Amino acid sequence: MHRFDRAFRFVLPVAAVAVLATILTVGWFTQPDRFAKGYAPEQPIPFSHELHAGTLRMQCQYCHSGVDRSRHAGIPSVDLCMGCHKVTRTDRPAIQKLTQVANSGEPLPWQRVHTLPDHVFFDHRPHVNAGIACQSCHGEVQTMKVLTREMGLRMGSCLGCHRDPHAALPPGSKITKGAEHCAACHR
Amino acid sequence: MKTQLPEQGPLEIPRFWRTLEERIETPEAQRAAQDEFLPGAVPAYDDVHGLPPQDGFSRRDFFGLVGAAAALAATVACDRKGQGTIVPYTKRPVEVVPGVANFYASSYQEGRRVYPVLVKTREGRPIHIMGNDEHPGVKGKTSPRAMADVLRLYDPDRLRAPLSEGRTLGWTEAESQLRSALVNAKGAGRPVLLLSGALVSPTRKALLADLKKALPTLEHLAIEPASGDAAEVAAQASYGQAVTLQPRLAKADLILSLGADFLNGEDPEALAAWGAKRRLKSAQESLNRLWVFEGPMTLTGTNADVRVPVAPSRLGAVAFALAKDLASKGLGLPANVDLSSVSAGVPAELKDSAKLWSNLVQDLRRAGRKAVVLCGTQMPAEVQQAAHLLNAMLGSEAVTIQAAEPLASVKDLEAASKAMAEGRYATVIFWDVNPAYTYPKAAAWKAAVAKVPFRVWIGQVPDETGAQCQLLLPENHWLESWGDFTTPGADVLQQPTIGTLYDTRQGEDVLLEAVKVLGGQAATSYHAYLQERWQRSLPAANSFEQALHDGVVKTVSKEVLPAFKGASVAAAAKRAAASKAEGLELVLFPGFATFDGRHANNSWLQETPDPITKMTWDNPVSVSVQDAQALGIQEGDLVQVSLDGTTLTLPAVIQPGQAKGVLALALGYGRTTGGVAKGIGANAFPLTGLDPASANVRQGVRLAKTGGKKELSRTQSHHRMEGRDIVRSLTPSEYAEHPQGHHHAPEPASLYDEQLFPGHKWGMVIDLAACTGCSACVVACQSENNVAVVGPEQVARGREMHWIRIDRYYEGELENPKVVHQPMLCQHCDSAPCENVCPVNATNHSPDGLNQMAYNRCVGTRYCANNCPYKVRRFNFLEYTAYKTEPGILVNNPEVTVRPRGVMEKCSFCVQRINDVKIRAKGEGRAILDGEITTACMAGCPADAIVFGDLNNPKSKVFQQVANRRAYRVLEELGVKPAITYLADLKNPAIEGGHHAS
Repeated sequence: MHRFDRAFRFVLPVAAVAVLATILTVGWFTQPDRFAKGYAPEQPIPFSHELHAGTLRMQCQYCHSGVDRSRHAGIPSVDLCMGCHKVTRTDRPAIQKLTQVANSGEPLPWQRVHTLPDHVFFDHRPHVNAGIACQSCHGEVQTMKVLTREMGLRMGSCLGCHRDPHAALPPGSKITKGAEHCAACHR
Repeated sequence: MKTQLPEQGPLEIPRFWRTLEERIETPEAQRAAQDEFLPGAVPAYDDVHGLPPQDGFSRRDFFGLVGAAAALAATVACDRKGQGTIVPYTKRPVEVVPGVANFYASSYQEGRRVYPVLVKTREGRPIHIMGNDEHPGVKGKTSPRAMADVLRLYDPDRLRAPLSEGRTLGWTEAESQLRSALVNAKGAGRPVLLLSGALVSPTRKALLADLKKALPTLEHLAIEPASGDAAEVAAQASYGQAVTLQPRLAKADLILSLGADFLNGEDPEALAAWGAKRRLKSAQESLNRLWVFEGPMTLTGTNADVRVPVAPSRLGAVAFALAKDLASKGLGLPANVDLSSVSAGVPAELKDSAKLWSNLVQDLRRAGRKAVVLCGTQMPAEVQQAAHLLNAMLGSEAVTIQAAEPLASVKDLEAASKAMAEGRYATVIFWDVNPAYTYPKAAAWKAAVAKVPFRVWIGQVPDETGAQCQLLLPENHWLESWGDFTTPGADVLQQPTIGTLYDTRQGEDVLLEAVKVLGGQAATSYHAYLQERWQRSLPAANSFEQALHDGVVKTVSKEVLPAFKGASVAAAAKRAAASKAEGLELVLFPGFATFDGRHANNSWLQETPDPITKMTWDNPVSVSVQDAQALGIQEGDLVQVSLDGTTLTLPAVIQPGQAKGVLALALGYGRTTGGVAKGIGANAFPLTGLDPASANVRQGVRLAKTGGKKELSRTQSHHRMEGRDIVRSLTPSEYAEHPQGHHHAPEPASLYDEQLFPGHKWGMVIDLAACTGCSACVVACQSENNVAVVGPEQVARGREMHWIRIDRYYEGELENPKVVHQPMLCQHCDSAPCENVCPVNATNHSPDGLNQMAYNRCVGTRYCANNCPYKVRRFNFLEYTAYKTEPGILVNNPEVTVRPRGVMEKCSFCVQRINDVKIRAKGEGRAILDGEITTACMAGCPADAIVFGDLNNPKSKVFQQVANRRAYRVLEELGVKPAITYLADLKNPAIEGGHHAS
């Protein structure tokens, strides 16, 4: 065997396959939306947005009332739920659990579905005030039995819309562009 | 750092200088000016730790990179599932919207001074403190120490539950211990001693009266070790009662300070009035004038128009000579004043400057009622009495005298100590005081206290006094407490802005409980007690809720002002004449950061550079230039200061402008307890005297070199900008005559395209004439922007993280230089040199004129800092903050990123505040109002020297101020187009070349 044969026949192909495999593996691992999309953790109370926002047609802002006043939309406090559930569906185990939380005053840790890194200071107010529907980022929440993440919420998602917000804005909106400078979100 | 003073002064000097090294042009200083980071700041060239200089790729760097690569790969590939939880309120408080700040009015007491404040809370956590704008005096401003005190709430060293002989116990048991002690003392008719801070609260006073009724053997001493016993002695002599003097500088055209440091940031009202008088819009307006006679260099001295170094022991003689001279020129003396012992004419201290003296006399006579004489509370009593006399002679309108609760002096403490040693007291209660640390003869005090059978301590962080007590009761921070105070012009309320973090109670509640167990009638809680009193005294139209909301209820003072007692003068004048400067004279003053030691555990304050010496984390002894030369002392030399058998070893700094023969030393350091405070600096209280008339000015001090050296954590030599035209100072005549001389230079051509700012363009104007250097902005910025504290070792290497610093420039002779303070922060240049060199575009320009810094993009090359002509970029060399846990992190502003290691940071113009106002204005469909956006430094500046706004709006305040003829931009010739405009400092000297008051 020629002294290079071994290298050409075995080492090179193995090395090439190894490199390719590494690229593919790393690429697969690092694809932006691999874990983000479709994330639907189990919640402490099996709350259904389909029922509340879809069937009952409750306004999003009834529960997420901070959305036009604060950076955060906010998760409703337990006593807000109890506004209805003191009398409604009190026979369900989930509601009984909720009642117990409300009475004991314990915290209720919901699993976070939509999240941004700590260095991103997203503000709900300008988006809601511009008339952008919640569904633009959060998906068709009113059809979800279990809240599921629809968007990767990476910087590309933000900038894509900020550069051409046309599709997300209500018809007739005068806004043509969103902010693209760093300090709009990072500070 | 070697600073060998020259035998003779150099012939040519740069116009402004910051350090002695710079002035003398040592080789070290010249080398330091070349580099962005101090030697040792960059680990690769580590000569501090004895590592050889390395070039190329070291083994350490290799492993570092391998580690970083592995960490990066792990981060990128990690599972982003499990995003954590969101925990909503179970019952949401009505007023809280998560993400929106709430503001509550409260107030903070420090010594006799009360600061009405607004507390910014986020989700129930106090995170930032500013002045209450409803208060007629402070008008939205407060002191640096009041702002920084929010950090003390989250001090991890706080006592979290009652402690008895090292054993944690519940309040029930603690109270029963206290109860039996008090009941037994009452039964046996034995006295109980209570020591507390100054009584400024009417309700607290009522509570103590109730306690006294229930426990007739109670003896109460109110002690404030930093208030200056001499002021009490002088007030008793001049007015026959304890008083507080509040300067009303708005009414003063002429101020004469006799060692008074009224511009040091402690008195926001004085600073506001000072600022208003100095911020001239045009040369036609007239300027007030400040004369300062003082020994050490104080912040007020640095702002003087005419400053005369005089040893404090001779100030009295000077002041009485002034009174005599004024009287001989026709200014009436109050009744019974006898100045026969005062020799007429110019005092010996000013023999060489007779012209100056006649100018001063003339100035005072011309200003008349619009002149005021202020005297430092640390100065000997006779100086203060002379100031009282001068004000009475002038009929000054610019100072109000108000009756105050008397304070116990060091004499009273001495008596108490003797009584304790003789076994007089059954019980002693220390409430928020620390005499075991502040009393001059601490060992004798401790021995006396040990003789008291039952010792109770009420406070927050266990201290030297607590170490001696059997029962330690943890107290609420003032942000967790109820209270009320009397201030000039208004009564103010204190309300809790957060529930108690730990199992603590406020001291008043403990005493209220004591009243109850001793058979007195009392309310259920101090809150109820306070509310009940207020509801009785409030006018019918006002509700308690409204008073709480506003924090203040304006009052009209009905008290008769105490009259000046002329008969006291003769003795004081004699004392003043007899007072001779013997040997070295030591002035002991409350520390800028620490006050009387109560703030020593506050790392924000410890790291705020002293406005004069620029020292952090230490209290060196300041030596005058002449004495340093005579004794061969260099900066950083360890010296021994000895007096009456007490010797302190501490580093020396050479202070230009300090009077010959005077040493100055800050109190409040050298604590032996507290995680931050322990071992920082030296305790100077043992050097204070037992004579209340002159406890803080001591004569016959000996100073000796030990031969040792200490590395000084001093910021003044950091971030220097070489000998360029950076600060400007004008006299009124220069201001009037040279409109072009100080105006914008022609703009150099630029290689880059011009930046366009179609919408807003944020800019700032800083008026150097109003800035006193008090450093309130530094603390405000630290609190707002989560600026990291790095500690003394890191500061010594030039790694301090402050986004805004105050550069202090000297001009002229070493013995008595002029001083200009210049706040320096990111200039947000339109053609920013930092932006061009960033390899990853982490710093770039926003369309509204901000130089933005994206931390998540920064890789830490530090090119930007190297290319910044203003030296305002700060690099996180180590992990300064991110490792922290509760309760330390609770003080963080959630609107600002906490920066990790390896990231560059700098002033952002408080972009979080800009964005918030922008979004709110947009939501309401309106334009942003001028003045609606305030940066933290602007809001914190008591002198209103900083103005922020939109340079594209011709109606804005910044736009108008940029047109001022004093306006200039720092290093404008570089063509970087800074967004910050400075207005030149104004000095109003009385002598030649100066401007004579119109």
